[in-house]
Amino acid sequence: MSSSQPSETDDVDVEPETETESFTGTGLPRVEDRRILTGKAEYIHDVTPENCLHMALVRSMHAHADVVSIDTSAAEDHPDCELVLTAADVKAEYGPMPVGIPEVETDDGVATLEEWSLADEKVRFVGEPVAVVVASDRYAAEDVADLVDVEYDPRDAVADGMEAREDEVLVHDDVGTNVVDGERLEFGDLDDAFEEADHVVSGEYSWGRISGVPLETAGVVAQYDDETDSFDIDCNIQLHTLVDEMIHEPLGYDADDVRVNVPADVGGSYGTKIGIHRYCCLAAMASKELERPVKFNEDRLENLQGGDMHSSDREYEMRLAVDDDGTMRGLDVWFVDDFGAFPRYPVNQVLKPLSVLTNSYEIDHVGYEYELVLTNKTSQTAYRGFGVDPHIYALEMIVDEAAREIGIDPTEFRRRNLITPDQLPYTLPSKNIYDSGDYPATLDRIEEIIADERDGGLLDPEVVAERREEGKYRGVQPSVIIEPGVSGSDWTDRQRTENDELEERSRDEVDELPEHLRATVREDGTVQAYLATDSSGQGHQTLVSQLLADELGVLPSDIEVDYLDSVDAPTEYGSAASRMAVMLSGATVGLAERVGEAAERVAADHWDVSTDDVAYQDGAVDRIGGDESLSLAELAAVDAERDVEDRELTGVSYNYDHPATEHEEFDEAFTRKFPVYPTAAFGANAPIVEVDSRTGEVDILKFYTVRDCGTMLNPMIVEGQAHGGIAQGVGAALLEEFGYEDDGQPQAITLFDYLLPSIENVPEIEMEHTETPSPYTETGAKGVGEGGMIDAPASIATSINAALEPIGADEPADRIPVAPDHLLEKVREAEDESEDDA
Amino acid sequence: MSTDATGDYDERVTEEITVTVNGEEVTAEVEPRLKLSDFLRNECGLNGVRVGCEHGVCGACTVEQDGRTVKSCLSYAVQADGAEIETVEGLTDEAESEDGSLHPIQEAFHETHALQCGFCTSGFVMATKELLEENPDPTREEIEEGLADNICRCTGYQNIYEAVERAAEEMRE
Ligand code: FES
Ligand code: FES
Repeated sequence: MSSSQPSETDDVDVEPETETESFTGTGLPRVEDRRILTGKAEYIHDVTPENCLHMALVRSMHAHADVVSIDTSAAEDHPDCELVLTAADVKAEYGPMPVGIPEVETDDGVATLEEWSLADEKVRFVGEPVAVVVASDRYAAEDVADLVDVEYDPRDAVADGMEAREDEVLVHDDVGTNVVDGERLEFGDLDDAFEEADHVVSGEYSWGRISGVPLETAGVVAQYDDETDSFDIDCNIQLHTLVDEMIHEPLGYDADDVRVNVPADVGGSYGTKIGIHRYCCLAAMASKELERPVKFNEDRLENLQGGDMHSSDREYEMRLAVDDDGTMRGLDVWFVDDFGAFPRYPVNQVLKPLSVLTNSYEIDHVGYEYELVLTNKTSQTAYRGFGVDPHIYALEMIVDEAAREIGIDPTEFRRRNLITPDQLPYTLPSKNIYDSGDYPATLDRIEEIIADERDGGLLDPEVVAERREEGKYRGVQPSVIIEPGVSGSDWTDRQRTENDELEERSRDEVDELPEHLRATVREDGTVQAYLATDSSGQGHQTLVSQLLADELGVLPSDIEVDYLDSVDAPTEYGSAASRMAVMLSGATVGLAERVGEAAERVAADHWDVSTDDVAYQDGAVDRIGGDESLSLAELAAVDAERDVEDRELTGVSYNYDHPATEHEEFDEAFTRKFPVYPTAAFGANAPIVEVDSRTGEVDILKFYTVRDCGTMLNPMIVEGQAHGGIAQGVGAALLEEFGYEDDGQPQAITLFDYLLPSIENVPEIEMEHTETPSPYTETGAKGVGEGGMIDAPASIATSINAALEPIGADEPADRIPVAPDHLLEKVREAEDESEDDA
Repeated sequence: MSTDATGDYDERVTEEITVTVNGEEVTAEVEPRLKLSDFLRNECGLNGVRVGCEHGVCGACTVEQDGRTVKSCLSYAVQADGAEIETVEGLTDEAESEDGSLHPIQEAFHETHALQCGFCTSGFVMATKELLEENPDPTREEIEEGLADNICRCTGYQNIYEAVERAAEEMRE
């Protein structure tokens, strides 16, 4: 495995650069853009079938209350009202929504946890839907919703994860505890490591509740068909071929009778939209009742306060065992994750960090313990990074703290513990494997960049001293951070399996969820390909047309890429967990091979020769040793004359297996409870921050980053993903938070309160790439979608620590977001202490 | 909507307005509470007007009204009576009628990969148009100021700077 030179990828070239005319590896502009730029793209908000009615929801204004009564009569009297539904209606005909933890062991047996699409006897968070109303348009629907009279008997609420552990207020009375899941895992010899180490350093860190907050809110248009007793559900759910069960199960229908279809354009998701099934279910029920299409567009207030879309909300206690020489011997991680009112699908968010347990450091003895608690807040969903971002943040914070306590330069401390290239592939204590890369070289490179800034640049000692006179402190602290790529298989299910059952489990029982791709050669010789996943801005149509063009030896413009709905597509994983670069490219290579073989069979048949005597190349099949040739168009015409079931060039499909399945090294992780992420993209950031000690504000002057995600299939898209992830990381580190009052009232219900980074908040990002191909994947690509969000918050936090080092502030970035008032307090504390010392 | 004391409901009150939208005069009966953004989307079929927040923060709904950009979710259709509105759809029609291509701003966004999910894009294109009309050669700081009222959650803005600079160059020529 060799690492290539840093490559400049600024040039966007339409023409393939190499002599072999390869489109892969070039920044081919996207095929998605034109329809979007001209305003013609059809997002779910734009879908309004004829005869369509509009749904609005009545939502709880209490964080925790008993529902005494619901009077719908005034609403039903309204002339524009078509329908009102309450929990009673839902329960009479439908089932509950699946929950991530359906059963909780309690002192007296097992309690079940149920979540209904409408709250029944009690409401558990502000914004929880209590009733559905349907009217002729959304304005009228909101009028009608106002007329639904719900009487509540408020209860005390719990809105803090640590407090919820005390079980003084119970979110689910029957369950008897708010701590519905938890486990301690130990790897290596933890006790010995901590006993024998020269130092044990500990710290507490807090990661505030944040989320993806895409600009497009959730939307659904449900249409019930009386004749076939089935549903068509258009919506912007993420992973529609995987999570469609969240919709058809509560409805009580077979998967084949609930066709979930996602428009080609979705206005961002970043994981969050996997959790919108409640809306899909409710619109479907209303549509069945009314036998008309029913549309629901979540508005922004609903989305922020009760949209089931917040994400990780954690308190960490970290311990690091370190020797005098700076060797990290042991790591002990404990955290609580506040899941809100119901533990939904993202329960694996607490375990994914096992895939990068020790980040880029070699630490052999590790403890990992979590508690999953419920509170009176809206439920969690997935968000870019899927729980890895807080883990990396807490880990880099304790590393900083340890360096300070034992008096080693924090960069040197990190360097001494980095996993080296000769150790790769490297198996973590938690059994995931890092594939390839040179972490020390990446740290060296980012250090070089910083050294340049120290010499006459932003960090020039003279400039830094001058700024200090004004109370402004500059600093930077890089580290090498890993992005686990390409989830797959069924560890979601395994997580909920008893340990002794897992012991028995063999490798063959692992469900691997391959990536499915399909194509048809049309009579004009162009190729229609179908994705079995949904997209929300990642440019999958471009990627597939670019790769397929190369593999088939045709032009990207000869390929059109469309999407399959949940019925036509097999159940598979889809776009999440930094999967698509690897999975789609692998699937494309395989599919092209299948198309080529099919074309050869048609040609051989036509000429009545063996397939050994023909060869597919560049859009045609040639007869070997003859001068006959049939183009794809001609072959499609020949094929079209056969009986439908014998056609070779229609619906050619390929399933690309998860890349780890072919490597025995992963078997141990596969059969047990551990997440397998076979690609390890990595990078080092140097955000140069300036902290104003008088206001507590943080300004990122420039954001340097050196990254490696293996082979870059489309560098333009890769860089776009990194930019976007870093910007979200900036928001997480400095601006965003879903705060709550003690009584469970949410503080951020508009975009005036939940602060998304604007162009003024995101610094200039200067990026370099190296390309170390992954040995495990078809194209050498690694997962790349989540990196910036995983590494930027940690890097910004450690850089803030570095900036305030001169005034002796105690771990100033110990809570995310690092808000101005928090920093001011840290500065004051440090000043008080130095006065006391003096 | 209001109810009188007996619980009967008034007819929904409407007003007639006439608005010039992308060069065409549109006359419609609308409720006074109908937002301009909903009027453009639902009555005029201009879905390029995106709605991301309905409270004036995200800028996805940005359109041009009488030569100035406005956030169409913050005003009512009746307030636009007699006004001239241009949306992102109008931009292309203009360019397309000439040579079948995209407007230079749209082209620049495409070439520099300044859009991912694209939900913010109409708003950014319209904001860029106003910026470049006022300042054909903006500095990075001026771009920042000009686009500060629009949010993009996908791109991290880096390529948006590039797009604006490229469009500016193109339009100066
Ligand atoms: S929708 Fe108008 S500013 Fe957000
Ligand atoms: S491209 Fe998605 S919000 Fe801007």
